[in-house]
Amino acid sequence: MTSEVGPNGEQETRRGFLRYLLGGGLVASLAAVLYPIMAYLKPPQQAEVEVTSVKAGKVSAMEKESGIIVRFGNKPVILVRNAAGEFRAFSATCTHLDCTVQFRKDMGLIWCACHNGRYDLNGRNVAGPPPRPLDEYRVIIQGEDISISKKA
Amino acid sequence: MNTFWSRLYSWADERVKLGGLVEYMGKKYVPVNRHSIWYYFGGVSLFLFIIQVVTGILLLLYYKSGELLAFESIQFIMAKVRFGWLIRSLHSWTANLFVLTAMIHMFSVFFGKAYRKPRGITWITGMVMFFLALGFGFSGYLLPWNELAFFATKVGTDIAGAVPIVGKPMMVFLRGGEDVTGATLSRFFGFHVALLPGIFTVFLGIHLLLVQRQGMSEPLSHGDSPDTERKTMPFFPNFLLRDMLFWLMVLNLLAILAVFFPWELGKKADAFASAPAGIKPEWYFLFMFQTLKYIPGKILFIDGEVLGILVFGLAGFLWLMVPFWDRKSSRGETNRLINYVGIFVVFYMIILTIVGWIV
Amino acid sequence: MNRTTRIMFGLLMLAFSSAGFAGADDKCLTCHESIGGKAVDLFKRDVHHAKGISCAGCHGGNAQSDDMEKAMDPKAGYIGVPKGDDISRVCAKCHGDSGRMKQYSSHLPTNQIENLRASVHGKLSTNGKERIVQCTTCHDAHGIVPVKNPGSPVYPLNIVKKCTQCHANAALMRTYNPSLPVDQLDKYRTSVHGMRNAKGDAKVAECASCHGSHDILSVKDTKSSVYPTNIPSTCAHCHSKAEYMKEYKIPTDQFDKFSRSVHGVALLQKHDLGAPACNSCHGNHAATPPGVQSVSKVCGTCHALNADLFSSSPHKKAFDDRKLPECETCHGNHEIIVATNKLLGVTSEAVCSRCHNESQNVKGFATAKAMRGLIDSLESREKRAIALVNEAEQKGMEISEAKYKLRDAHQARLESRTMVHSFNEARFQDVVNKGIVVSASVSEEATQALDEYVFRRVGLGLATLAITVLAISLYVYIRRLERHQAMGGK
Repeated sequence: MTSEVGPNGEQETRRGFLRYLLGGGLVASLAAVLYPIMAYLKPPQQAEVEVTSVKAGKVSAMEKESGIIVRFGNKPVILVRNAAGEFRAFSATCTHLDCTVQFRKDMGLIWCACHNGRYDLNGRNVAGPPPRPLDEYRVIIQGEDISISKKA
Repeated sequence: MNTFWSRLYSWADERVKLGGLVEYMGKKYVPVNRHSIWYYFGGVSLFLFIIQVVTGILLLLYYKSGELLAFESIQFIMAKVRFGWLIRSLHSWTANLFVLTAMIHMFSVFFGKAYRKPRGITWITGMVMFFLALGFGFSGYLLPWNELAFFATKVGTDIAGAVPIVGKPMMVFLRGGEDVTGATLSRFFGFHVALLPGIFTVFLGIHLLLVQRQGMSEPLSHGDSPDTERKTMPFFPNFLLRDMLFWLMVLNLLAILAVFFPWELGKKADAFASAPAGIKPEWYFLFMFQTLKYIPGKILFIDGEVLGILVFGLAGFLWLMVPFWDRKSSRGETNRLINYVGIFVVFYMIILTIVGWIV
Repeated sequence: MNRTTRIMFGLLMLAFSSAGFAGADDKCLTCHESIGGKAVDLFKRDVHHAKGISCAGCHGGNAQSDDMEKAMDPKAGYIGVPKGDDISRVCAKCHGDSGRMKQYSSHLPTNQIENLRASVHGKLSTNGKERIVQCTTCHDAHGIVPVKNPGSPVYPLNIVKKCTQCHANAALMRTYNPSLPVDQLDKYRTSVHGMRNAKGDAKVAECASCHGSHDILSVKDTKSSVYPTNIPSTCAHCHSKAEYMKEYKIPTDQFDKFSRSVHGVALLQKHDLGAPACNSCHGNHAATPPGVQSVSKVCGTCHALNADLFSSSPHKKAFDDRKLPECETCHGNHEIIVATNKLLGVTSEAVCSRCHNESQNVKGFATAKAMRGLIDSLESREKRAIALVNEAEQKGMEISEAKYKLRDAHQARLESRTMVHSFNEARFQDVVNKGIVVSASVSEEATQALDEYVFRRVGLGLATLAITVLAISLYVYIRRLERHQAMGGK
């Protein structure tokens, strides 16, 4: 670095001021870069991305005659296992007024709590106000894992 | 303060002999002329590459490859990780700016004929890095596993597959199978974070070393004037500080882009869904994509698409090899043909990119 | 008709076909009359006989000859008794030809045979050779009289008997369609239509009024007059005609009202076949308005949860005691529109206030008021949450989690609307609270996202400030440095 003596004091102060400005700007800029990075490095509340969407769980974890709601993107999907042990998956959005349906073991069908809409285990609307069957999803079983995907 | 720094310097000097390097750097001068502005684009490309490395490593901390989680993990980074949105947007924006500045750097070198002897290897390494950058862009585009990227990759690899003889095996190699699947994603992830950076670093090292060894090239017209009349400025600190100033402005621009135009994520890719309307590759591939659209289906028994790809391949190869066939410039003579070719290429790319963007 | 014209007419007919013209000289009838037989007696009353058509018109042969051999010579076109599809073909020879029908100055339509062939009766066959129904199946062969004649087997008072000859015969119907019910007649006799019909009212609906006559189609056929989406207009054919319905003193605006109702819109505009048509509530063959106490059962076939809740609520007894029809009292019947929150509460538009006010049935008044407050509050909170989520989304914030949660608020609101029918404040409040809790957490997340949006911009501003200061001072520094170098420092 050059360290020369200025011709007069006024210039000296201006140089000093510039140095502070330069140093301050450098520190502030570094802070502006480093703060987001440090904050990014801090583990978030939920430490890692959840296994959502298409992976629906384990075959052994689901009893016969049971059903679970699985989040598929931004929509719920109901995965049901019937008495014969087969898996089926349907959109869990009731075709009547968009409530979320559920599996009812006592009735042996898919049921909507809002208006008692009923669908059989093939997704067909069998009673109550639903106008259409539930959209079906594809269930893929690879070994123990169940995954759900959209039907072609 | 000063004593601390000088003690640190002498501590290091005693051990690694910094003296020679500092002396060398102190003697390095950068030519000053009306084209000096273009010298900064190489440096800013380097800066952008560094940003890519940093943000890329940061993204790696939370990104999960694989069909099931890739999209969700990006969503997670954007929503749950503090400043995750910033890092991701920066990475995406920087990628685009990087290609842009590298392109400007390339054209400035081309028009300045800076590739002429003795800088042929520098040009080649630069061009290789440019192709690698396109590879970075293409592979990175797929990693969020969203609908647009999925179909763009499908189309992109399809085009690669149309190349005669080597096309099909190449497509299968790129896709890791017959179709774009989770296997493709894993592969592209590998290319993007390991393979390409590794190769890129080697070429970057050679490129930077050569630039330091040979200094900046001057336009041909300046070559005639005697040494005493040439204006120069010291590389250190003058040129480096100017570089920094430019980098700072670019950094600020990136921050503004990232905040005001956060990079969209779109919908998760679904192999069974029909392709959404308006599938477009990244802008730097657009001119080629658009050209292939305009080529008729058959030209003299040859498939139009194949012909287009071959022509682009040949043009790319000629472009890469310019130091070797442009003998005139190497001899220090003016070669107008190069200027005409360059101008044609620039206009062709700009016009077709705009057309592709609008259509 | 005088003799000359008859002859003229007869010659004309001969020129057209082998069908015999007989008039006074119908030798077939002369001979067969002497032999006797039911067919001859009946034919003398037949409209065709009155129009001057001889036996040979259908059976062929030469009606002019009294020689049996000549008259019934197949060479003269004699076909004997037509069988199977030939029967309808013989009838169609004239009834399918408007030219010929005009000669007999008949204005009957001539498309009956086409209609019959396209109908379910004309398409079905058990033995593969002949259709189930021929013209004579309903109209008989000899003694055919116009349909308006009370003696006709297809006269409104008789047709029910005619149709049920087959349709009430389980053994016969099984051979065509085992799943088709055979109790239509029994049901019909319990309906208002059937009872009046039995009393001799020819104006009320009988089989053909709804199903059509020649063109009867299966109920599954979208063109059928009894296909769900066509039923309302089929019923309206009579029930919307003020003049026609005058003597029955019942309203005629049901169709208009129904068309405006939530059910009518679903059925007629959205073609939702699950939506009820007239017969879903009134029955079809046994059409009768549901009784006061059974309304909720009828509506409950679809709206089961609401009906169950209602039946176990204190309103059930109160309504029955006052002879108020259950669902209908609040929701109306034909013109049921989408229930809004306005129905609930104690304002003048609210249905509760019809029975409950500050001085009368006070307990219900308080409950209604409280329930309305709850549902309004849920609705406004949900709306606020939606607005915040939309705003955050519009500003490009990632908020899909909160948006997903919004479904639960929506669900709670819909469930609460059902829960109204329990008329129990505590149960209602439980459901509403579920929605309020979700709405609150969604709102909070959305607000955080919006705060984050502001934070990003402020942060950017600060960073820009820092970088700008650094850049400017760096610029000034470079200039100073170079001025020094130029002055000879370097």
